[in-house]
Amino acid sequence: MIVSFYLNDVLTSYNVEPGEFLADTLRKNGLKSIRIGCNETSCGACTVLLDGKPVLSCGILSAKVEGHHITTVEGIQEEASKIATHFANEGADQCGFCNVGYALVIYALKRELVNPSDEEIKNYIVGNLCRCTGYLSQFKAIRAYLEDK
Amino acid sequence: MQVKEFIRAKSLDEAYALLSSERSVIVAGGFWLKKMNQDYDRMIDLSLLNLGKIEELKDYIKVGSMVTQRDYENSPLIQSLFSDMSGFAVREIMSVPFRNSATIGGSIMGKYPFSDLITSLLCMDVTLEFYPQKEISLMDFLNSKEKNTSILTSILIKKENGKGYFKKVKTTALDFPLVNIAVSRVNKTYKIAIGSRPMVASLCFKAMEYLNSLPNIPNEKEIEEASLIAASELKFLNSYNISGEYRLALAKTYIRRGLEEVNK
Repeated sequence: MIVSFYLNDVLTSYNVEPGEFLADTLRKNGLKSIRIGCNETSCGACTVLLDGKPVLSCGILSAKVEGHHITTVEGIQEEASKIATHFANEGADQCGFCNVGYALVIYALKRELVNPSDEEIKNYIVGNLCRCTGYLSQFKAIRAYLEDK
Repeated sequence: MQVKEFIRAKSLDEAYALLSSERSVIVAGGFWLKKMNQDYDRMIDLSLLNLGKIEELKDYIKVGSMVTQRDYENSPLIQSLFSDMSGFAVREIMSVPFRNSATIGGSIMGKYPFSDLITSLLCMDVTLEFYPQKEISLMDFLNSKEKNTSILTSILIKKENGKGYFKKVKTTALDFPLVNIAVSRVNKTYKIAIGSRPMVASLCFKAMEYLNSLPNIPNEKEIEEASLIAASELKFLNSYNISGEYRLALAKTYIRRGLEEVNK
């Protein structure tokens, strides 16, 4: 079946299987920035934005995004680069596998939460797992990014 | 997961007709379907049917079955009920990106034994609305063994001025509950529900009857007694990560704390 949606603001149509998930569709069509970690909606690596809200692309049927806006890290280049700089400054980059999902969830966090407390930030990013670090460096990087106007 | 056809239903009538054929399934958020990994001839999507709203009616808060968990927890209407007990329960489920897709209807129709939402809803007065027209209390729905062939359209939560408490015991942030407990109070009427024992949540009728027959607000000793009754009337079984005995001990403690909390 054909599914049409706005991929980073460009109307895009893909031929998908009715039971296909968005992470697979995007990767198949060259968007290799989408990482598939657990592939069971638990690790956050496959995060994309659906109409501006972070969602797990490994658990969303491609057919369901018809007509919606999907944003990947390619669509937030400028902000992603700022986030990457803060991650580097705090040493939050190690293997890098979780970074793309992090960038999208942090981007959404900044737009959704007003003056978030530490607890609110932690609750927002709790689903993005990093197996290399202890999260403190990511947390500091997020704080720095939120203060970065 | 092999699916032959994905259909975005244009009316409830159409969805219902499609659902009656073999190997058809309603897709809500879609996460549990992925986990179950079964094959279907038809997957029926309800996204176009305007079931994603939370509305305030005269006596009820009406929650559309396609409302996401995230919209539910952020709704001031839900937050206004029972000290935000149910919003609190939902906020404990997985992550923000998960809850941005998972739906309230999907969370109920699965009758999931680990459900935090169901435990919290049992401590309020909740009716489920189905298409074709049918209304059934949440408890009757949970107890029913019949195969359900109708479509959940909304969840009606009675507006009551009460206090609530919810506790999910878990070992890590993203874990399923080892056990979960909800307690509510409207004037002198108490409700206690325990889920993930590991069976689907149930009310503790004997403990509730005991509390509700007291002439006064229960004192420390009576609260202790109620927690013992509640713990003895339900089954607590072993799972791979927790013993039934430990589940029971946790439930007893948090019922006590819950009762103290709603009495404040």
